[in-house]
Amino acid sequence: MIKVDNLTKRFGRHSAVSGASFEAADGEVVGFLGPNGAGKTTTIRILTGFLPATSGTATVDGLDVSEHPLETRRRIGYLPESVPLYRDMRIREYLRFRGHIKGLRGDSLRRRMDEVIERCGLGEVRRKMIKTLSKGFRQRVGLADALIHDPPLLILDEPTNGLDPNQIRSIRNLIKELGESHTILLSTHILSEVEMICDKIVIIDGGTVLASDTPSNLVSTMRSAGRISIELKAEPKVAEEKMSSLDQVKKVTHERDRGSWGEFSILVESGTDTRERLANLAREEGWPLRSLHRHAATLEDVFVELTRKD
Amino acid sequence: MANLLIILRKELRGFLLSPFGWILLSLVTVMQGWSISSAMKALQDAPIPESLVYIVFHMPQFWFYFLALFPLITMRLFAEEERAGTLETLLTAPVQTTQLVLGKYLATLCFYLGLWIPSFLQFQIFGLLTDLDPPFSTGSLGGAFLLILLMGSLFIAIGTFASSLTSSQIIAGVITVGLLFIHYFLGYITVIYGDQFPAASLFHHISASEHLRDFSRGLISSRTIIYYLSATAFVLLVTHHALNYRRWKS
Repeated sequence: MIKVDNLTKRFGRHSAVSGASFEAADGEVVGFLGPNGAGKTTTIRILTGFLPATSGTATVDGLDVSEHPLETRRRIGYLPESVPLYRDMRIREYLRFRGHIKGLRGDSLRRRMDEVIERCGLGEVRRKMIKTLSKGFRQRVGLADALIHDPPLLILDEPTNGLDPNQIRSIRNLIKELGESHTILLSTHILSEVEMICDKIVIIDGGTVLASDTPSNLVSTMRSAGRISIELKAEPKVAEEKMSSLDQVKKVTHERDRGSWGEFSILVESGTDTRERLANLAREEGWPLRSLHRHAATLEDVFVELTRKD
Repeated sequence: MANLLIILRKELRGFLLSPFGWILLSLVTVMQGWSISSAMKALQDAPIPESLVYIVFHMPQFWFYFLALFPLITMRLFAEEERAGTLETLLTAPVQTTQLVLGKYLATLCFYLGLWIPSFLQFQIFGLLTDLDPPFSTGSLGGAFLLILLMGSLFIAIGTFASSLTSSQIIAGVITVGLLFIHYFLGYITVIYGDQFPAASLFHHISASEHLRDFSRGLISSRTIIYYLSATAFVLLVTHHALNYRRWKS
């Protein structure tokens, strides 16, 4: 559905996006992650045809966004980061206007309006002025606008930004539901959100794509995937030495003592599991073993590892 | 075309559903009414060899409120969309920039023409209330209002252009006033410096006050009509490029 190839966007001397490439297949929910200023919004603006690319191509549904601006825009439902709305309009009036300029007329417009109002939970406020709405409801109005022409692709730029936890939950559930029938490009920096919703993650920083994979693949290829902690009764020096001599163990650190129990942290090569051999070692040496635990890396570890500056 | 009408209707609703539009309408009506009554008084006091229409449009206050009208009706057009960020939702919807510019421009022009309806009726009332022939010819009335339309079409285009340059309504308004005053005073250059220089005919050609003098006497010149229409088209083209340039600068 989306194919971005070697996309570059320069503002004067500053490159907001430099050589970014990624893809989103039909029906995928893609999380678009990156720190602030990573180039997410710029990439999205190029995809939606609001900004031109300096070089490289972006295609939506096989159509180049700069060569077929109207056709590609028809296929995209876009919710900008700041959720711009006409404050002086009522919700129905706004949706009618947006539906009109997106080419809907008469009965089909009315049907779609009722559908998106229902779907985005705007029923009880549909006659209100937009300026009187809370931020959560404005976000929903923006989403309703993105959905009104029933586009196959939704591009949502930080849709849960600035909402309270309950609102975040309800928007997230809505996005999850929409993900069943739409391709979604979801820009955010709330990692738990991405882990829950997305089939695929694209991590961008400094205008380049650093990783693009499923959440579980990303996590399992991370260095931090291979950290094991073990608690046993043994002479720390001896235990460190013995455990270090096992294959695939990179480093053993004695973290602390809890009474007579010593706690060790063991770094192993990624993609391996040393727990069984560690248990065997403890039995052979006669060390009482209290806990043996492999730390599951989180997406946060992945994100921090890829994008931290220090 | 359909998109153009949708945007036109939305903008027009914006004018008519806000108190602002009605305040402007009453402003124009009151000012024109004041001009007509002082013109009638002037005719009563002393014989003047000009028609009522001519005198009304040559009241000293005319240019002040006439030129002040344009920043007020145009400054919002694009500056407000830019400020609120709705320009992004408009330009990422399947709408062409041309449709957007023309839609907003024509809506403002329609509203502007509406502003002059009460004034036009005021001239008709004269004939209805008195048994006298109206103290002006059809030509001078038609000419004056034709020029109001022509000047409006150019000045609204200038205001639309100024609004597309900035996200601040105030700045857009100031730019509009500045450009309109420059345009107006360029027409005065020949009054100040005389006709004795080669480019004098150029300044006569664009002088709004000379246009008004001729048209309100019923002297309708096709050169003037073509001047306003072509300048309007040019300014709208520049507006279109200014909007696209903001999108396409890299």
